[in-house]
Amino acid sequence: MIELRHITKRFNGVAALEDVSLEVKPGERLALIGENGAGKSSLMNVLYGLYQPDQGEVCFDGQVVKVKTPAEALARGVGMVHQHFTLVPTLTVTENVVLGHEPTKAGRLDLVRARKEVDDTCAKFGFQLDTGAVVRELSVGSQQKVEIVKALHRGVKTLILDEPTAVLTPQEADELFAVTRRLSDEGLAVVLISHKLKEVMAFSTRIAVMRRGKKVAEVVPGETSPEHLAQLMISLSSRERGEGRGEGPNQAPPSSGAVPDQPLTRPPATLSPLPQGEGTLQLTHLTAQGLHDLTLTLHPGEILGIAGVDGNGQRELAEVLTGLRPWTSGTLTFEHAPITRWTPHLARAHGVTHIPEDRLRRALITDLTVEENVSLGRHTQPPFAKGPLIDFPGRRALTTSLLETNDVRPRDPQLRAGGLSGGNQQKLVVGRELDSNPKVLIVVQPTRGLDIAAVAAVRAQLFTQRARGCAVLLISLDLDEVLELSDRVLVMYAGRITGEFTRAQFDERVLGRRMLGVVDA
Amino acid sequence: MILALLNSILDAAPPLIFAALGAVLSERAGVVNVGIEGMMRAGAFAAAVAALVMPTPLGVLVGMLAGAGVAAIHGWLTISLRSDQVVSGMAINLVMLALGTFLLEAVFNSPSSTPAITQLPLVFGHSPLTWLALVLPFVVHFVIQHTAWGLRLRAVGEKPQAVAAMGVRVGPLRFGAVLLSGALAGLGGAALSTATLDRFEHHMPSGLGFMAVAAMVFGRWTPLGAAGAAAFFAFGNALRIGLASSAPQLLEVVPKGVLLALPYALTLVVLSVQGAKNVAPAALGQPYDPELR
Amino acid sequence: MRKALPSILSVISAILICFIAAGLTRDFGTALDAFTAMLWGAFGDWPKFLETGAATAILRPLGEAGTKAAILTFTGLSVAVAFRVGLFNIGAQGQLAVGALAAAVVGAKLEAPGFLHITLCLAAAALGGALYALLPAILKLKRGVHEVISTIMLNWVAVSLIDNWLVIGPLRAAASGDNSISGTDQIHATAELPRLLGDSSRLNLGLVLAGVAALATWLFLTRFTRGFEWKAIGLSQDAARASGIDVDRGFLEAMLLAGAFAGLGGAVLILGTELKYPATLGAPWGFDGIAMALIGQGHPLGVLAVSTLFGGLRAGGTRMQLFGVHKSFPELMQGLALLLVAAKLMWERLLRTRGTP
Repeated sequence: MIELRHITKRFNGVAALEDVSLEVKPGERLALIGENGAGKSSLMNVLYGLYQPDQGEVCFDGQVVKVKTPAEALARGVGMVHQHFTLVPTLTVTENVVLGHEPTKAGRLDLVRARKEVDDTCAKFGFQLDTGAVVRELSVGSQQKVEIVKALHRGVKTLILDEPTAVLTPQEADELFAVTRRLSDEGLAVVLISHKLKEVMAFSTRIAVMRRGKKVAEVVPGETSPEHLAQLMISLSSRERGEGRGEGPNQAPPSSGAVPDQPLTRPPATLSPLPQGEGTLQLTHLTAQGLHDLTLTLHPGEILGIAGVDGNGQRELAEVLTGLRPWTSGTLTFEHAPITRWTPHLARAHGVTHIPEDRLRRALITDLTVEENVSLGRHTQPPFAKGPLIDFPGRRALTTSLLETNDVRPRDPQLRAGGLSGGNQQKLVVGRELDSNPKVLIVVQPTRGLDIAAVAAVRAQLFTQRARGCAVLLISLDLDEVLELSDRVLVMYAGRITGEFTRAQFDERVLGRRMLGVVDA
Repeated sequence: MILALLNSILDAAPPLIFAALGAVLSERAGVVNVGIEGMMRAGAFAAAVAALVMPTPLGVLVGMLAGAGVAAIHGWLTISLRSDQVVSGMAINLVMLALGTFLLEAVFNSPSSTPAITQLPLVFGHSPLTWLALVLPFVVHFVIQHTAWGLRLRAVGEKPQAVAAMGVRVGPLRFGAVLLSGALAGLGGAALSTATLDRFEHHMPSGLGFMAVAAMVFGRWTPLGAAGAAAFFAFGNALRIGLASSAPQLLEVVPKGVLLALPYALTLVVLSVQGAKNVAPAALGQPYDPELR
Repeated sequence: MRKALPSILSVISAILICFIAAGLTRDFGTALDAFTAMLWGAFGDWPKFLETGAATAILRPLGEAGTKAAILTFTGLSVAVAFRVGLFNIGAQGQLAVGALAAAVVGAKLEAPGFLHITLCLAAAALGGALYALLPAILKLKRGVHEVISTIMLNWVAVSLIDNWLVIGPLRAAASGDNSISGTDQIHATAELPRLLGDSSRLNLGLVLAGVAALATWLFLTRFTRGFEWKAIGLSQDAARASGIDVDRGFLEAMLLAGAFAGLGGAVLILGTELKYPATLGAPWGFDGIAMALIGQGHPLGVLAVSTLFGGLRAGGTRMQLFGVHKSFPELMQGLALLLVAAKLMWERLLRTRGTP
């Protein structure tokens, strides 16, 4: 039996795990559920030796053990299958499985024996795998099986699966659960990290619910329902924050930074000051890689929220709208004119700006200064340029005022952008994009990783843009955020839109089920 | 005529084959090695110098050690310090170019070459290194394809994270490959100064190291392919030299420079037809930082 | 300045290592003499000048140093501008050869008055180099061929075709009398770069051109919005693309400029000192450019400074011969300096531990 006792883990002072205790018993199927960032993976990474806990201890059969590397975890019988596979695509299944402890005969790699042994392992646990196949040519589902076999072949007693169904088709997922059931019958402990309630209900013998770095409940499937679990995962958070979610849909988000705990009234949606139709962006039956038959309209003066579980097409949608991803069929219409060529440059020229999810990859260049980053995207236009030349005083003046209005600290235009804190980087990006007075604003995960004051500041900015008549598309994995900010919400699942809700219709439970792919009867 | 051509290939190909095999070993482990030229030069010089004071076969061994020594610098820079692999390789080339010239002058007071040494004794009419060059590609092929170490080598060049996840340390594995690569390049150099010629000449290996890299690319990063390409390039050279003596009028039609450029041009054509991405090891050129996942 | 520190320390260490090596192979007194001679040979023999008043004691060394520095600056800039967008131009050697041949041909076959002729030669060299550099850029964008491999291949293609075919075949100079002449025809006097310090010194317009090129590149990269785009591309292709910058165009432009600079380096070599395309170009100027660019931290003025230093040292290197130290010694210093600069992480660790006790 494995015990995690009072584990606390902080990253840069922010607690990812706070005093979490958990037991994993042989033969059980434990589900670890929670929203993104709830600490599920972090907790298991501690057990697998990838993270060292700041406080607390890991016990194997009552013995306190420091697990410093995955190799040590493996030696103690703990295996973990990550969402990102660590397979060598050019090698065969057998070669991948035996890598690192290969059977040899007189110095020669004994692939015949290796294959037989791997076949035995597969047979023992009921895996249907062509162990001679090259991994690159396998489906994602089979590749995942290879990962599991890799762990089983090492004789693990505890197998951790991190969001295993995120990359699988429903059929593959069913197969996976059949397999894991056999594993637990063999006496292995299986830990499933998930946020999909349906599969958790079907799969587990015990469910631990995590929320914001804490374990908030432990339940048995027979005594709960998806609705109840969703409440534990999602609703509880609102109560934790003392906002009283049940008081009606017009509950306001904290705003304007000064007193973040004080709820502010949600500003009314004003009539667009822009001429009719300006800033309207439409997708009609648009299909692209990762997106299927999308039809949606962004209206000026409206915040349109996209709700959904990670990896259901939100990123792709943002990329299509901002010119980073081509589409294969359907049309994109801007201000009622169909668009044929759409590049980041053209999108910007049309007044469509983007606050991307991964600010360090797409929005900021950390080795450039703050003022250079502010100019990025508009660097050829005044006040950043005079003809072909950079307008240094103009750039400095605008940066200085932008730092001031967006409260970016420190107020140093010449600082490397990489030297700013995450919150200040985001305020810089938001400030930069909004300064161009966009007609359309595509915002992805705008408040991820920010502190409360920064979150409030960013949200207030979105309302200001809406009041200006900007069409705002808000993509966020935080359902609370989507519901608080949006005038209208679309739910995405598997690259499709599976529901549309206006503010009066907001109901987390209904939305939550749509997000998880459950269609109401 | 054909026999003469064959013989001249057998004599010209070994340095190129050894060096190309060396390039394969390093790059299959994920470490770009454009420093082969410099490692060959080190091997050629060290072997020629060592053969002055010890039996030539031992000199060849010294040449291999010298190549490995230079490769150790490459490994230290690129694996331990995670420096740019191309920069490191080119720096090694420049250093070895100058160092060879300097040592030649400093030790032998000659701007052109070292004193003559006894060449390796011939075996069946050819240098023993020729026969080694015929066997070694298969040995390297066996090592890469049929040993545990070879499996790990292939894996680490494609996806170091996978190797690390299975509890094998990436750094030492890559370092070993780079050292072997240097030893083989050194052997290639030693073949130049102890078999092809009987001394180290100031211009050695005059671009053969780069041709070895071309052979490796042409041979799609496989030992047999690289050795085949090296032999083919050597055939081109032999043909050119053969033609110059036997049929000079032909060289009027196909000039020597065109023949010289052919291996490189062909490699480029092959690369642009198939696109380089699919055959090169996936993790080639990327330093492995265990802290990044 | 702090950024330049690793380079400065690397160069100093390299010179020290070489001094010790020279001391060990000869003796330290000789080494000192040799290094002093190198210094006088590099930047003028001031003691001799003060003693005898002969201006040539200064002018001649400066001329040799200047001509070498000019070529190194051009090839160094070639590598540096490609680096700016994140491309590694190992092909400066081939581009230089193409440019040199273009300059030699236009200089010899065409007749034109003075400065026009020079301008035409330079233009031909820049164009030739640029087109030859365009090839790897296109192969990268269209076929995904890594520029390091393609430029290495193209170097040898160019050198083989030019040195072993064109220059000894179709473009070979006509024999005069009984003496067969190696290399191409001599260029016309109108195409020769004017000398700056009279006949006693080979210092020519090339150095001025190189200086202007370095300065112009620096201004372009730091003052122009297009230069800013290059920098953004080099630091993060993803972010540059997302902000609307045309990354592909940046690659093409940078490689064209890189090739043009390498070609101009070839032109300066031909029009300034060789006066024809010789049997062989001698030094691997293009590969040296890699060292110049990296030691100069990719900064155009850094490249100019490093090129001036090593151009000088290499000119002075010939004087080391008198003391039994080979003239290639400065090249060894240059290589070692590059090797040490490559150990970037080592300097960062050293400087960090010293900075934060």
